[in-house]
Amino acid sequence: MKKLQHKHEALRRILRGAYFEKEHAAVGEQWQVNAMRRIRDLGAIPSGANFFLFFEQFVWRLTPATCALILIFAALLFKLDFTPEYEVFTSLIYDTEKVTLTQLFGL
Amino acid sequence: MPNHPRNPSDAEIIRRIIDGDVNPFEHLLRKYQDHVLRIVKKHVPYQEVEETAQEVFVKAYQALPGFKEEGGFGQWLSSIAVRTCYDFWRKRYRSREVPMSDLSENHRDWLEKTLSNQSDLSFNERSHTEEAREMLDWALERLSAQDRMVLELVYLEGLSVKEAAGLLGWSVAKVKVRSFRSRKKLETLFKRVIST
Repeated sequence: MKKLQHKHEALRRILRGAYFEKEHAAVGEQWQVNAMRRIRDLGAIPSGANFFLFFEQFVWRLTPATCALILIFAALLFKLDFTPEYEVFTSLIYDTEKVTLTQLFGL
Repeated sequence: MPNHPRNPSDAEIIRRIIDGDVNPFEHLLRKYQDHVLRIVKKHVPYQEVEETAQEVFVKAYQALPGFKEEGGFGQWLSSIAVRTCYDFWRKRYRSREVPMSDLSENHRDWLEKTLSNQSDLSFNERSHTEEAREMLDWALERLSAQDRMVLELVYLEGLSVKEAAGLLGWSVAKVKVRSFRSRKKLETLFKRVIST
């Protein structure tokens, strides 16, 4: 087992050597000129990008707070609004005529 | 024309670029070109190095408004370079443009010798870099883009899982799992070569 591990470590060392050898490959000078040309073609960084970036950063930061607010409001709505609606609904079902007449005469 | 210090800091240069002056970016390009090339050369094929390095600087330029000074510009640029290389392989694999090279008998012999002959290791290390490089390329071609990048960064480059995760923008757990799997795949590939 130890011998096998040793062999793999030896192979790894050789592969690492080959991997780092790639660093020494020569590259021409022209690519910098081309890179700068591409960047100049893009033009100045639009100032609008700052706003969107700022907006994007804040949207994500506010997500937990927004979720908490949604839950709180949902709970409040459920607690405050659902019961009266239920009462109106039952009164309409069981006392339709009375409610309609009351509404009609504004009493 | 405004007066600028002779050796402005990266932060000062970046501020001027964000304010709408493109030209100072050339200073950053010259300062960090070797740094970016060193990364790109290791990850993409030689003929694609120039194009990919250009891509790195274009992406960095576009992302400059989001640059935060923590860690420095070099570190930030390294991350863009590594992710650009990863994107390169993702596109390559998606379009199935990766040419699958075959191994010759010499490569098989080399691998067998390397794994069997411990006493002659120094000889192997010095003289067989070419075979090792071809063998490595052959194996990496057979891995996915994710496995490839993790294997290169962790197994070959020797970065910690945390460092690799930071460069790739992945979670530490994901890099850990990928690192383990890719190493196993590499071992399986080499075992298969020897057994055939």
